[in-house]
Amino acid sequence: MAENLWALREAKRLSVATLASRAGLPIGLIMEYESGARSIDPRHLSRLAKALYVEESEIRMRCEPRPGGAALERQAPPRPEPRPAMPQQPPYPGQAGPAPASAAPPAAASRQRGMRPPRQMSEPRPPAPARPSQIAHLTDLIGRLGKDRAALEAELGKPLEELDRLAASSLLGKLQLELRNAPSPERHRAYLPEAVDQYEHNYLNSVKESAATLQFTLFNGERLEGQVAGYGPYNITVRQADGGEVTLNKLAIVSYRRARAEAEGADQ
Amino acid sequence: MSLGDKLRLLRAERSGVTPAEIEAALPELPKGLYRYMEQRYRAVGDDNTIRMLAGFFGVPFEELRWRLEWPRKSLNRALFHAQSQRQPITLELSTGEKVTGAIKWWDLGAAEIETEAGSVVVQRHAVERWDPRAPEPEAGEELDEDDE
Repeated sequence: MAENLWALREAKRLSVATLASRAGLPIGLIMEYESGARSIDPRHLSRLAKALYVEESEIRMRCEPRPGGAALERQAPPRPEPRPAMPQQPPYPGQAGPAPASAAPPAAASRQRGMRPPRQMSEPRPPAPARPSQIAHLTDLIGRLGKDRAALEAELGKPLEELDRLAASSLLGKLQLELRNAPSPERHRAYLPEAVDQYEHNYLNSVKESAATLQFTLFNGERLEGQVAGYGPYNITVRQADGGEVTLNKLAIVSYRRARAEAEGADQ
Repeated sequence: MSLGDKLRLLRAERSGVTPAEIEAALPELPKGLYRYMEQRYRAVGDDNTIRMLAGFFGVPFEELRWRLEWPRKSLNRALFHAQSQRQPITLELSTGEKVTGAIKWWDLGAAEIETEAGSVVVQRHAVERWDPRAPEPEAGEELDEDDE
């Protein structure tokens, strides 16, 4: 049968502080549990059971006040023998003396308060209003896109300032995408061709397929004639008239052109 | 020929010494700068760096220094400008030859120029200077300066 927490603790001769330390719970919370001011949180039950070396089922979930004694006990562990009476000093200047142990037991008050109402599932919070920075960013984007703010607000059905944070974020994403895709005279890439070496690749490909003869001029002044047998980003392999092949590093090439007879034929 | 292309050529002429070996030989050179100088399309480097590299390769300082004013990116601009304006361009090649004509196409490796004597494909690294030079871009015009 389940017992009061305070009864179990006293049976184990533990102080509140010791129990609190063992269970890893605040002293005040233990005191509230013991006084019945609060029912024991199920999450703390196993801790208390371990600290007291008892089964969880042995602890009553809500304590009843101890009979005739102080419900709240701060420090003193139960002593086997009562000490001889000492002359009592008022604990604080102006105070008549220690409060009687039975005075105003909090347990009584807590009983009046009754059981803690079960925790209700919190309702979803209303969405937070848009941040000022979001409004400023939206205003800027609307300006850059050349949009009419009033028309946009009419479409949204409310002023921008009344948007919630999520709606503002969604609208920002939409406008940013629109800005990215919008052609703008202010923004263009640097002078880049469409592909790194696409045009030369196409040229060499057509020359290779047509088996045209190219005349290469090299850095060392040499000239070389032949058909393109293959090419890559950094080199061109040339098949010469005698059937021999030579691979030229592009770094060694100054220029190349169709051989004169070929060029004349191409012109005609 | 841009400074980057010239450095690449000098490396090739010296049996392909690697950028790492150059950095090891020139400890005062900030790490990674050499690769930037060689690979970037914009002008990278200063007189001090160029002086160190000129010493390393055994070439006159001026032989490298003037190229800083003729980076690949400037050639991009000139080619783009001449092609879009349908203007002829003159390319001065490393062999001393001058090629003048209309641009048929160009990319980052070469350009085909239609000359009076027929078309010729010029390797861009062989272009020393060109005329006309395109107008310099206005501030903020080239947004992706370091993309290349």
